[in-house]
Amino acid sequence: MGSSRRNTQDEYSYRSGDTAEFPKSLCQRTETRAVELIGYTSPYIPVEILSLTGLKPYRLLHGDIELSQSGEEYVRIDACPLVKSNIAFVIQNQKRFGAVVGATECDMLRRMFEILEDKTSIPIYVINNPRTRQPGIFYDEIDWLTNELKHLSGRRWDETVIHEEIEKWETLRRNFRMLDKKRKATPSLLSTTSFHNAAEGYYKGGIEEKPTVPEDHSNKPRVFLLGSEITYESNWLLELIEKEVRIIGDFVCGISRFLNITVENKNLEGLKTAYYHQTPGLFKRPNAEFYDYINTQLKERACNGVIVWTLDYCDTYEFEIKRMREIFKLPLLHIKSDLSHQNISQLKIRLAAFREIL
Amino acid sequence: MIPVDFGPPKKITLNEWSEQFRRIDDGIIKQYTYYDNEEWGGYLQPPATFMVYGARELKRLKLDNSFAALRLWGFVFNESERLFRAHQCGKKVIATMGDLGTVPVIVQSFPDCIPFYPECIWWTPFFNESTVLLDRAGQLGIPEATCFSKTVLAAFQKKAYFPEPDLIFASTGAACDDYSCIMNLVEGIGYPVTWLEIPYRKRTKKYYTAEKYGETSDGFKYPLRLESYLIEEYKKVWRIMSDLTGINDLRMLEESIKKVNRMRKLVEKIKELTYTVVPTPLPALELMTIEFGNLYGYADIDEWLGILEMLLETVEERSRKKVGVLPTDAIPIAWITPSADPYLLNLIEEMGLRVAATEYVIRQALVEIEENIEPFRALARSFLNGSLIGSTEERIERIKSAIDKGVIHGVFITNMLGASHCAMETKLIAEKLDRVPVLAVDVPPPFGITKQLKTRIAAFAEMLRQK
Repeated sequence: MGSSRRNTQDEYSYRSGDTAEFPKSLCQRTETRAVELIGYTSPYIPVEILSLTGLKPYRLLHGDIELSQSGEEYVRIDACPLVKSNIAFVIQNQKRFGAVVGATECDMLRRMFEILEDKTSIPIYVINNPRTRQPGIFYDEIDWLTNELKHLSGRRWDETVIHEEIEKWETLRRNFRMLDKKRKATPSLLSTTSFHNAAEGYYKGGIEEKPTVPEDHSNKPRVFLLGSEITYESNWLLELIEKEVRIIGDFVCGISRFLNITVENKNLEGLKTAYYHQTPGLFKRPNAEFYDYINTQLKERACNGVIVWTLDYCDTYEFEIKRMREIFKLPLLHIKSDLSHQNISQLKIRLAAFREIL
Repeated sequence: MIPVDFGPPKKITLNEWSEQFRRIDDGIIKQYTYYDNEEWGGYLQPPATFMVYGARELKRLKLDNSFAALRLWGFVFNESERLFRAHQCGKKVIATMGDLGTVPVIVQSFPDCIPFYPECIWWTPFFNESTVLLDRAGQLGIPEATCFSKTVLAAFQKKAYFPEPDLIFASTGAACDDYSCIMNLVEGIGYPVTWLEIPYRKRTKKYYTAEKYGETSDGFKYPLRLESYLIEEYKKVWRIMSDLTGINDLRMLEESIKKVNRMRKLVEKIKELTYTVVPTPLPALELMTIEFGNLYGYADIDEWLGILEMLLETVEERSRKKVGVLPTDAIPIAWITPSADPYLLNLIEEMGLRVAATEYVIRQALVEIEENIEPFRALARSFLNGSLIGSTEERIERIKSAIDKGVIHGVFITNMLGASHCAMETKLIAEKLDRVPVLAVDVPPPFGITKQLKTRIAAFAEMLRQK
């Protein structure tokens, strides 16, 4: 259960170390040498655009209990543990962030950007991610973001460079799709615990690495995982689940959701289209497409059950548990946590009982 | 003109109100009707009647003793009946959810179309001292730690609090997550919903380069694109309403805007006098009810305008005579986020405080709509003043300014446990308003106001008194 805590300084060595191409505003920061990351918060923010700045796109997916407690210096104790952790992580590591790019996903995230703006000197960019069907708004926002990040980085973003960047990320996603095929095979050849370990590289901008994951055959009951973010530090939760059942598919941030994104036209327009038309999250209104997608996945992957994981105070999923039970027509287990290990014994018992009914 | 003078202003109990009520001539009672209907539109009742009908908390509350307040409470408590009547007599009843103040301006432009806000039902469990709606919301799948607006889902499901709407508009986006989820569940139990997008009012920053900004009449800067997005949403509402009614005359919208502006101006005057005059001419509970009337005129804006005029007259008269409902040494505080439990507003006044500034998350409903520009654009620019669509700093700037001027000595925040904006904003607000003491409390469910909570408020008042 301890494979998750790997946040050492060594892990973050930037691939080029080159800061010469950043504009003066960024280079003049006294800590320029340390600037390596561009933080982001949403699957709707194109990593390719972030990567074109020369910074490493770093998804803010922290959920360490100590970080969460540190975050309580800035927000109430009942705020989302993920948001509390990310606030603390960015503040503690602010010298390393060249910018943070956010999207209007939830109330808590919007306030998080305000706090980061107040407490750090990191440039913050927030895009309106429409909840209703509004591609125009999304495309305008991505255009705006592109212009701002071009200015921030001072780099030339010609069509060739953009094409190459997209191709790199597409290759990486293709590699992960191969892994996902093994995960959903019958019997499943790959655990989600291992997949998550590999996916951490994607979320931390490790574009050069080809993900390699040891095979691990399983005939355990097959479940689909939905819900709140799986954080860098919450691999223990996946391990705990997979002691009883095999997660053969998921729709959570932090594992494989990026596999839904395929950029066909390798230019900015293609990026906008691909990111807008990814499988919509539960917060989209109406959210019938989400349910259709999950239902299809449940059938395709021959799932025996569904596990819904929610972080304390992450309401979006919790509100819909009852509907999910009705719509999915499969055994459903709802587990929740504040990212501490305090209810671990209870989780073990509930997971074991869930396996029994499957 | 105020038809009955009940003597010096004071806060009185239900029994006292019943005694006062006997002094009103029947002819006067019949003069005040909703939907201008003399046959069945009367709404003046002694407040005790509403207690008998179910609003049990009234027996604990103290209410203003003016005739204008009688009209106010009669009208507000009559809303459910009014909406059912509207439905029965062929008016279109339109649910407008989530935007708090703008879509109703369009809806009420159309003849016989009545907008209402289902979310205002969040006060019902408190007034009724009942957990029926909260329990039912739980049975329908809403988590325990959720804002009291979860009652809306239960109300839609029980079909007893308002008639089935002819249309439902639901605004979502950069506003309130919990409520977005609740509206989604309303759709999930079979009510067709038209969704509208609420954009986030991004602030300009010194390192931004590629954006054109506009400024609202109230001084908020916003990316100009947001205005266009909102205009399209409001035009969508207009088209749907036109299809429903077969009417398409934009002059009606211009007239509606003028009427709404009249309402907003009246409320602004009432607030200004109540905040600044000592002794306070009107209690905080009535004032909150008046502010929230701006959302949709309690489903009959014409009658509500008459009530506001009478309330203003009452406040002006009390101001002239230098009489009020609270002691002259009551300490002025700001109230941030509305309380779902009305009793709290009574309580802080009993502790020697008075509300002299508010931020009830409805700023978009308080500002005047521009009348000299294209109406949809005017609505968009008006909405862009919204409380929850921008930064916390912008939300509380008026409170900050009142503190700087020395007119506010403390800040009282009422949170809803589980409401995500509360969890994130409270500390930010307290930090930004650190020049005065701040007390933040979670509004407990019905029957939840304990001695401990009272002691905290009393200690807060005591501390302010000593400063």
